[in-house]
Amino acid sequence: MNKIVVCYQSLLGLYGDRGNAMVLRSRLAARGFDAEIVEVEPGDEVPADGLVYLLGGGEDAAQISAVRMLKEDGNIFRAVDSGAVLFAVCAGYQIVGNTFTVGDDDQVIDGLGLLDVDTRRGPERAVGEILTHWDSPTGDYLITGFENHGGFTELGKGAKAFAQVEVGIGNRADGTEGAISRTNPKIIGTYPHGPVLVRNPQLADYLLELALGVELDELPSEELDELRRQRVAAVRR
Amino acid sequence: MKSSVRLRLGTVLGDCAASASRLLGKGSGASIRGQILTRVEPRAFEYLLDGRQVLAVSGTNGKTTTTHLLAAAVREDRGDKEVVTNTDGANLHYGIASALCKDLSAPVAVLETDERVVSDMIKFGKPAVLVFLNFSRDQLDRHHEIKSLAKSWRTALEQAGAEGPVVVGNAADPLVVWAAELAHSTVWVDTATKWNEDSALCPNCGAMLVTDTQAVPGLRSGAAEPVQPNTTPATAGSTAWRCPNCGLHKPETEYGVVGNEIRLPDGQLVDPKLQVPGYFNLSNAACALAAAATYGVDVPVAIRGMRKVTAPAGRFATAKIGSSQARLILAKNPAGWAEALPIAQSEPVVLAIDSVAADGKDVSWLWDVPYERLAGRHVICTGPRAQDLAVRLSYAGVEHEIIPDLLTAVDWCSRAKPTWENVPAPRPCEGQIIDVIATYTPFQKLLKLGGLR
Repeated sequence: MNKIVVCYQSLLGLYGDRGNAMVLRSRLAARGFDAEIVEVEPGDEVPADGLVYLLGGGEDAAQISAVRMLKEDGNIFRAVDSGAVLFAVCAGYQIVGNTFTVGDDDQVIDGLGLLDVDTRRGPERAVGEILTHWDSPTGDYLITGFENHGGFTELGKGAKAFAQVEVGIGNRADGTEGAISRTNPKIIGTYPHGPVLVRNPQLADYLLELALGVELDELPSEELDELRRQRVAAVRR
Repeated sequence: MKSSVRLRLGTVLGDCAASASRLLGKGSGASIRGQILTRVEPRAFEYLLDGRQVLAVSGTNGKTTTTHLLAAAVREDRGDKEVVTNTDGANLHYGIASALCKDLSAPVAVLETDERVVSDMIKFGKPAVLVFLNFSRDQLDRHHEIKSLAKSWRTALEQAGAEGPVVVGNAADPLVVWAAELAHSTVWVDTATKWNEDSALCPNCGAMLVTDTQAVPGLRSGAAEPVQPNTTPATAGSTAWRCPNCGLHKPETEYGVVGNEIRLPDGQLVDPKLQVPGYFNLSNAACALAAAATYGVDVPVAIRGMRKVTAPAGRFATAKIGSSQARLILAKNPAGWAEALPIAQSEPVVLAIDSVAADGKDVSWLWDVPYERLAGRHVICTGPRAQDLAVRLSYAGVEHEIIPDLLTAVDWCSRAKPTWENVPAPRPCEGQIIDVIATYTPFQKLLKLGGLR
């Protein structure tokens, strides 16, 4: 059974983040793979044998608790070492980095250190529809989503940008969005909600292909194509 | 009440603008009246509150309905002319000033108050009673930290000290309990709250809250003691919760929801026989009843008044739209949708989604709503974000179609034939009411289409 592990839905699930898990499970099932969503809550052990690990959006206090518990648990580190995919969104993206800040006094908190990025409070909050270009295995692919973050993220040498911004703020208004680890390209962080895998099915399939090591058949959907058309048109208007 | 020439002038000018707004079909005009009034007399909010006995209601969900229930309860006791209230849900400074300037003589004001206005309400309105209903994720593009609102309430209550209101609070919601902790006096209500996804962490210290899976009416006392059933005979209620670190816990409750009834402080159960549907409104009624009783209204009188409430600001109203009958249900966020879905039983059911500022611009929340519960039903998706909803329903395994235009979607009876083979033909439509759940903006449009505003 392929496990899609949602890390702490009650802490890091503020923006419909469970939708990303539902998309992955459903797209696996459509290709004949058995898959289940494992919603790990604080106090539960994180499975070490997951296929994909998801971290989502949450508030400051939730970020601190999540980092502490993931470190104490340790299984997420073992899982990525043995080839699992880690896909982190928004607050989740910040906590997989080296450091991030919380609170009015910008207290610096150590992250999981899985992605070479550091996040500090930005000059203004980035809120709104975002459109980026992802250099996917099959070429340029538009990523549509909704960003909502106060932190600005700077990439270190060990990370490269995940996408280039057409509309929106992204990492820190420098034209880049998200990050991929150079040492382990199965660790990806990004800001957009939407949820992002709902609006960008090709990214969802890419994560699954990374995790499974196989190529997946296409799943044409007029409904998803239309959603993408609408969101791209809305943000470019 | 404090008065000024500017206040009177502002009222006259505001009235003119409100009339113009209504004539142009732009709404009730409450907001524009308040805006002009406040432009002419910047302290209108403060002056208009001065000298009145104020009962205020706030929280993420249920404000409008609870305010209507509370106003009805107090009116039943004091008489219609004694009570002024903001009936149309205009609950910011402008809206409140607008409602108050329409009735300068009423000594009692029952006021729905936006979460952001609670601090000023405590400071300037000096409410006798303040109802705190709940906190949950809502319009996250505007309110990034749910806790920051609760914190502003807490600070305002601390500053008010002994001058502050009696807080009637929902004991099931840890953020409410924390926000009201410093009030000089509290009356706790055990509501049937089901939404708990925004209260995983202790609002006081950030530790993980512990909940008891057994339904217990409240924690006996002290945080160090294990959670165990209260000695009162009532057995239902929401789950007990406590913080193992700092000791914040679900307080003992004087009122509560038990099945379809409301538990009173003496343990007696009363069936309010409300005309507004759903468990959520029973919880709202329990809070309104507790507030009315705290204010001195006898329980039977309060309940008699609350039974007269049918469609607060159009919520749950049945409207004729085109040639169809539609029941209009408002749901603005995941907690609201979780309560609204069980109420909507019609076949088909229409869901209307928009994403302008008043709805919240990010519709990611669609994935926090348990639409899976609609499996086996037929859903018509409408509104500007119908496509987002359609995708959500596909993943939920719910059969649906998209009709972007609101009127066409709701006016089921005007359609020539059903889209689905196994749905009964829409004609004759007599007696059939289509349930429509809508976010804020389409809800307001539907009220207008139905001639209700």
